[in-house]
Amino acid sequence: MFSRLLLLFLFSWIWGTLAATPSHEQIVGDFFNKNGASGGSTSNHTNNWAVLVCSSRYWFNYRHMANALGMYRTVKRLGIPDSNIILMLADDAACNARNRFPGSVYANPGRGLDLYGDNIEVDYRGYEVTVENFIRVLTGRMEPSVPRSKRLLSDASSNIFVYMTGHGGNEFLKFQDNEEISAFDIADAFEQMWQKKRYNEIFFMIDTCQANTMYSKFYSPNILATGSSKLDQNSYSYENDNDLGISVIDRFTHYVLEFMERINKTSHESMADLFAYYDPVKIHSDPGVRSDLFRRPLSEVRITDFLGGVAQVEVGEGVPVDSSAVAAAQEEDEWPLQGESPAVPPVLPVAEDTRERVGDLGGGWRGMRAWGGVLLIGGLVGWVGFRS
Amino acid sequence: MKLSLDLSVVFPALVASRLLLALTNLPDALKHDHQLSSPLTSYLNLQEGIYLFKNGIDPYSGGIFRHSPLFLALFTTILPTSRTVASVIWTLCDAVGAWALVQIWRARQRVSQTSRDGLIAGAYLLNPYIFLSTLSLSTSPFENMLTLIAVMFAAQGNASPSLLAAALLLHLSLSSVVLLAPLILLLASSPVSQLASPRAFAKNGKNVAPLVAEFAAYAAILSLASTLVSGGWAWVPQTWGASLTLPDLTPNCGLWWYFFTEMFDHFRPFFLMVFSIHLLIYIAPVCIKFQYDPLYATFILLGILATFKPYPTMADPGLFLSMLAVFPEIYPYLRYPIVTTLLHLHAALLMPLFHHLWLNQGTANANFFYASTLVFACANGAALTDCVWAGLRIAIGEPQDGYVVVQE
Repeated sequence: MFSRLLLLFLFSWIWGTLAATPSHEQIVGDFFNKNGASGGSTSNHTNNWAVLVCSSRYWFNYRHMANALGMYRTVKRLGIPDSNIILMLADDAACNARNRFPGSVYANPGRGLDLYGDNIEVDYRGYEVTVENFIRVLTGRMEPSVPRSKRLLSDASSNIFVYMTGHGGNEFLKFQDNEEISAFDIADAFEQMWQKKRYNEIFFMIDTCQANTMYSKFYSPNILATGSSKLDQNSYSYENDNDLGISVIDRFTHYVLEFMERINKTSHESMADLFAYYDPVKIHSDPGVRSDLFRRPLSEVRITDFLGGVAQVEVGEGVPVDSSAVAAAQEEDEWPLQGESPAVPPVLPVAEDTRERVGDLGGGWRGMRAWGGVLLIGGLVGWVGFRS
Repeated sequence: MKLSLDLSVVFPALVASRLLLALTNLPDALKHDHQLSSPLTSYLNLQEGIYLFKNGIDPYSGGIFRHSPLFLALFTTILPTSRTVASVIWTLCDAVGAWALVQIWRARQRVSQTSRDGLIAGAYLLNPYIFLSTLSLSTSPFENMLTLIAVMFAAQGNASPSLLAAALLLHLSLSSVVLLAPLILLLASSPVSQLASPRAFAKNGKNVAPLVAEFAAYAAILSLASTLVSGGWAWVPQTWGASLTLPDLTPNCGLWWYFFTEMFDHFRPFFLMVFSIHLLIYIAPVCIKFQYDPLYATFILLGILATFKPYPTMADPGLFLSMLAVFPEIYPYLRYPIVTTLLHLHAALLMPLFHHLWLNQGTANANFFYASTLVFACANGAALTDCVWAGLRIAIGEPQDGYVVVQE
C-alpha cells in the first residue's frame, strides 16, 4: 500500500516535472520573444543595423548631407552604436571652402543643431561612396582586407534600417554624379541578403525625386519600404538658410525627423503612426509605403524596432566556470577551446651563443693582437726617434 | 701691469685651467654634440668599439665604429679607459698641440724664444672651437695634435718624425693626405717666411722621392699593425672608406651630409667622386702658388681641408684659425677680417641653436641647421680667401699713394 502510494507519488512528480519543463525550442522562443513581453510588437530581432547613404556630393547638395546626418543622429540617439551604423557620405560639406560655418552641418534654417559636431563616424567618405561599395556592404562580399568598421556584419536576426537620399529618378538613384544604381540592383542585393540570412527585417526609406519607384522592384520577404514621392513627382527641399545660402534639408526627411524628435528609446510609437504623420500638403509630394512584403501589421511594428538599438539585458546568476580549464589556461596563457584540452605550447630550444667570434683565433689572441699592434707602433716611434 | 705673455707662465696656467674644466661634467653634456664630433670622431662610438673589441666582437662588423684600429690598440693596452683619464689625456693632447704650434712659430722666426709665444699658445688653447671639441672628447684633438707635430718636425727639418706623424695622421683621417705634398715641400725647403719675396722653389738639398718612399713605408707598417690589431682588413672600408663613400649621414658642421641626404642613389657615386676630387684639386695650385713658402701652403690647405672635409668637426676650422697666429705678417693685408669674424660669430651662435631647434625641440627643420652650416662654410671660405689674398699681397709691398692694387 505504502509502496504503491510512493510509486504514484514518484510517477506524478516525474510527469509533473516533465510537463512543466519547457522544451528546448520553447526556451529559445521565449528568449527571443521577450521583446513582445510587454504587449507590443513581436519582432524577434536581436540586433539593429543602419545603413545610411547620401549619394550626392558638392556644395549645392548640402541638404542631402544634412538628410543623412539627421538620420544618423536620430539613429544614434535611439541607441544604435557607431559599430552598427554604416554611414556613407561624400563628406565635402562641412569643410567646404564655401561653408561659412566651417566644420558644421546644419539641418534647419537658423542653425540650431550642428549635426557634424566632433563625434560622427563616417565609414565611407568621398570617392568611396560608390554603387559597388554599397552593394558590397549590403551583400557582405568584400575583400578580406576591408576593416570591420566598414562591414555590415548582420545576421539572421538583425533588423536593418536602410536610408538613401540623393538625386534620383524613375527606378534609379544617382551616385556622386558619376554612376547610377537601379531599383533592380537594390532588389537583387536584398534578395542576396535574404538567401544568405543577413537580415530579419529591413526598413527601407528613400528621399529622392520619384522615390517610390525605387522600392517597387523588391521581391524578398520582410521588407518595409517608404519613399518621399511617387512616379513623375519631385521631392522638394524644405527651406533655405540665409547665411549658408542653400537649402539645408529636404521636406520629407525634415518631417520624418520632426516625428522622430518625439521618439526616445522607450517609445512605443509604431510605423503606422509615422506613416499617418505624412502630410502630402506639407511635404509637397506624395510619400508612399510598401508593406506587402512585410508580415507584421504596421500598428504593431515599433519605430525603435528599426531606428533604435534596444538591447536585451538579462541579469543572471554567476556562470559556472570549468575551473580546471581556467587553471590550465592560466598556466599556459591560452584560451581553452570548448571541449578541447589546452594545447601544450611548443618548447623552443634556447639558442646557444654561437656568435662567430669574427677575427678571433681563440680567447686570448685578441689581447695579444692589441699588444702586438701597440708594440709595432711603439717600435716605429722609438726607431724614428732614435734615428733623428 | 703688463700681462706677461711668457710661455713658461702662460702655458702651465692655460693647461691647468683646461684640466680643471675637463674634469667637470661638461664633457657629458658635450659628447653628444654633432658640431663638435662627427661619426668618425665621436667618443661614444669609440667607447662602443672598445667595448665590442674587449668582448670578442669585431667592432668593424657593424657600422658604428669608424675609428682607426690604432685607437683600439692604444686604449685596450696602455691607455686606461676611464672618463677622468680620458679627459686628462685629451687635454694633454691639446697641450702638446699648443706647444707644437709655438715651436712652429719659433722655427719660422728662426729664434728659440719670442715674446709672442704665450699669445700663440693662448690662441690655440683658448680657441673655443678647439677647446670645446676637446671637452666633448671627440678624437679630433688627436688629429690636430698629429698635424701640428708633423708640421713642427717638418719646420725643424726632422724628416722621419714628421713623416711618421703624417702617417699616423693618415690613419686617423684619410683626408689628411692633402697635407702630404706641402709637408714634403716644407721638408725639402725651409719654414722661414718668404711671403714677401716670391721665387721659385728653393730646395735645401733634400730629395723629394726618398721622403715620399719613407712616408709610404711608415704608412704600410702602420697598416700592417692596424690589420694585426683588428684581425682582418675590415677596418679599411669602415674607416678610410667612410670618407670616400659617406655611409653615415649624421648631421655635422660640414657641407657633405645634407647634399647626400637628398641625392638619388643613381647619382651618388658620381657626386662622391666629385666631392673627393674637389679636395684633391687644391693641392697642386696652392703648392705651386706658394712654392716659396710651403708652411703657408700647409696653412692654406688646412683651411681647405676644414671647409671641404667629408666629416669635419669644429676643431678643424679651429686649427686653421689658431694657426693664423703664426703668420702676423699678413695681418695688415687682410681685407675684411671683421666680416670674417662676424660670419664666424653668426655661424657659431646659430649652428647649435638651429641644431637644438631641429632635433631636440622639433620646431625647425634640417634647412635651418644646414643654412647655418652654409654660413659657417662661408665664414671659413671668407677666412681662406682673405688669407690667400693677403699672402699674395705681401709680395707687392706697402700701399702707396696714387696706386691701387687690383686683381685682374
